[in-house]
Amino acid sequence: MSLVRARGLDVLIAAALLSMPFWMAAIGGYTELATRVLVMGLAAMSLNFLLGFTGVLSFGHAAYFGLGAYGAAMAIKYLEAGTIPAIAFGVAAATVAAAIIGALIVRRRGVYFAMVTIAFGQVFYFLAFRWNSVTGGDDGLTGWHRQPLDLGFATLDIFRNDKAFYYFVLVVFALCVAAMAQLIASPFGRTLLAIRENERRARFLGVPIENRIWLSFVISCFFVSAAGALYALLNNFTDPRALRFDLSGNLVIMAVMGGMRSFWGPLIGAGIFVALQDYVSSHTQNWMSVIGLVFVLVVRFFPRGVLGALRRGRPA
Amino acid sequence: MSQLVLFNVFNGLIVGAFYALMALGLSLILNLSGVINFAHGGFLALGAYFAYALIPFVGFWGALVVAPVLVAVLGLGVERVLIRPLYGADPLYSLLLTFGLAYILEDMTRFVWGAQSVPFQAPAILMTPLSGDYFFLTGYRLFMIAIVAAAVGGLFAVLNYTRLGTRIRAGVRDLETVSTLGVNVRILRNLNFGFGIYLAGLAGVLAAGLLGLSPTIGANLIMPSFVAIIVGGLGSLLGTLLGGLLIGVASGLAAVYVPSASEAVIYVMMGLVLLVRPRGLLGEEGRVH
Amino acid sequence: MTLLLVDRLSKRFGSLVAIDEVSLAVEPGELRAIIGPNGAGKTTFFNLVSGLFPPSSGSVRFEGEEITNLTVEERVRRGMARTFQITEVFPELTVADNLRVAVELARGYGLSPWIGRAARRKIGTEIDELLATGDLAGKRHVLVGALSHGDQRAVEIMMALALKPRLLMLDEPTAGMGDQETYDIVRLVRRLHRRQGFTIMLIEHDMRVVFNLADKIMVLAEGRVLAEGTPKEIAANEAVQAAYLGETAR
Repeated sequence: MSLVRARGLDVLIAAALLSMPFWMAAIGGYTELATRVLVMGLAAMSLNFLLGFTGVLSFGHAAYFGLGAYGAAMAIKYLEAGTIPAIAFGVAAATVAAAIIGALIVRRRGVYFAMVTIAFGQVFYFLAFRWNSVTGGDDGLTGWHRQPLDLGFATLDIFRNDKAFYYFVLVVFALCVAAMAQLIASPFGRTLLAIRENERRARFLGVPIENRIWLSFVISCFFVSAAGALYALLNNFTDPRALRFDLSGNLVIMAVMGGMRSFWGPLIGAGIFVALQDYVSSHTQNWMSVIGLVFVLVVRFFPRGVLGALRRGRPA
Repeated sequence: MSQLVLFNVFNGLIVGAFYALMALGLSLILNLSGVINFAHGGFLALGAYFAYALIPFVGFWGALVVAPVLVAVLGLGVERVLIRPLYGADPLYSLLLTFGLAYILEDMTRFVWGAQSVPFQAPAILMTPLSGDYFFLTGYRLFMIAIVAAAVGGLFAVLNYTRLGTRIRAGVRDLETVSTLGVNVRILRNLNFGFGIYLAGLAGVLAAGLLGLSPTIGANLIMPSFVAIIVGGLGSLLGTLLGGLLIGVASGLAAVYVPSASEAVIYVMMGLVLLVRPRGLLGEEGRVH
Repeated sequence: MTLLLVDRLSKRFGSLVAIDEVSLAVEPGELRAIIGPNGAGKTTFFNLVSGLFPPSSGSVRFEGEEITNLTVEERVRRGMARTFQITEVFPELTVADNLRVAVELARGYGLSPWIGRAARRKIGTEIDELLATGDLAGKRHVLVGALSHGDQRAVEIMMALALKPRLLMLDEPTAGMGDQETYDIVRLVRRLHRRQGFTIMLIEHDMRVVFNLADKIMVLAEGRVLAEGTPKEIAANEAVQAAYLGETAR
């Protein structure tokens, strides 16, 4: 299978993630940063399901990330839901939105598709901003926090214990990533790859292109909203910035920076981006320029990303 | 009631003119080069700030003339150095690049001129109402419409009556053929980009006079420009113009009846257009890929 | 019954008439060649029949059913498969994976999020057979983008075959090929036609290929049918000669 995942890398990544809270502290980080890497990594990998594997550019994924975040937050705040139901609620809300919007935009392609994804992304940002009474407006949705997780045989205090929360997120991460991997390796996943490789040939093999792109879009948003829900839980807070198009752009650059054509690339890209953002914003006021510069440099000199560049040396 | 309606429609027309001016620049660049210029808002802001910096030296009218040109020159440079290498590649990359550029422009503007609003004074002569009954007909508002009309008129004149304009229009249809006919496509794209940025800079100067000047002035206007292009139709400049005016007037009308929804209305329109006529009002079928 | 029945098909692009009242009937098991000078509308004709865009007038019937307004995907599902003048394959997938995609789609697994071992084995066998037919067995792990022109064309034809088509449409399969590669493709097509009984419609420029393979030939010029008949009849047809000679004299 010409799929771009080597078994060795899987093991390496698993080992790194299982131990991240420990070595993260050693290099000057902290557990919460590690959790953020996982969450953004999941978000970037979800986006990449559409971008790198189906070859469709969406620049509005923040909308679904944010819907997941707000959905989970509101479920906890207004419905006093438990952690898992809250995540489910956020994911459901975002996925329904993705299904509807996807159907509207799927006939566009290329830059025009990207444009409408951007525009729709802003609709939700605008809603979150304006609908103060429900969403808390620009100040965000506060006054709630993640609850200890009742597993029946034990209670996991994911609220006070950072490491416990990290491993909880890791479990969700692993489930989502395993599902994505299975989909990509399946016959369905191969039709998506086919669409990426040559849409015309895929069409002439009988693939209903628009329908499959819609499916890929919805699946991608499903997983990105899970990341969004986790993000809200991580911060015990969510605000319109989780929906804004700069987050969308950041997700894309994470995927590109790590390597769009590889499975784990976006996770690596997310790690670099999150760490960079954390470091730069604590050292200078002009961190926005640095991030912008990163975009420019990656595009001009490093478009294949970390894993893409590494793979060039390997035989077919 | 009707004065209120008239006021809001007029206001909406002005806002729509803005949207149209900015969207036209975006559309020019998008149609010929296939690049979504995310940094368009940043150039708009820069145009406004350049004018702000120039006013003490050349006055408002001088700044109005010079600032957009300065920004356009910067645009020419940006296109040459950063965007040109990306033309053959996936549109993803030029989008990411202009995205990063937008970050840099906003941050640099904030760095140089501060994060707070700065006072931007249009000449007093323009600020007085021209009519007792219709108080909203200030000189400035009419002046803005005049400038936008002149700019749009100028744009269409250039596109239809000059050699450069004809080449741009031909290039939008079929860049390859234009190239084989001996036209230097690189310079064409470069000038086209500069033109688009000039319009952004001009919109910036005008916007500052009306809305006040702060670093986020561009970010607020870029989304409606997108919607204007989507509503008006991809690939059609006339469509973009109409789209901008339409959504401006629509939000103006909405402000009369459902004030809180006046911003939402442009997104609702976008949704409707995508549902009922996906290619936009004047868009061309088949300009999808 | 007639496999493909095209009745007075026309296509206008604005004021340009690309195809003008072209009719043709292809019987099962036939190998029909479509020839004509450049710009005659041969590929446009293929595009109409395969559903890339709708005709301005006229109809297309496949196995007795009206398909004039069906989409590409629907026609493919009814058994029409085609290749293109510029080879359309999946360049960053291996040869085996290119075929795998086609076979899985043909067997209805296009939406499967999972596939069992038994099914996978059967698909594997079919891929092996296709690789053998196309003489590509040794190259199964090579990325198609890295293959020679002739091999890429063979992959494309094998992908079309994977669909088990009842009509195989080949658009200039030997375009841009040297003598050896042309010979290999001709041999492949002949095998598909004579030994496996595929019905084939073929656009070609290379007359050696046409006269070698075709049962019947249709000559298009300026969007219209200039002549139709057996290779012998066409070779003797003066109007055809004029059309081609006129072209080479230019």
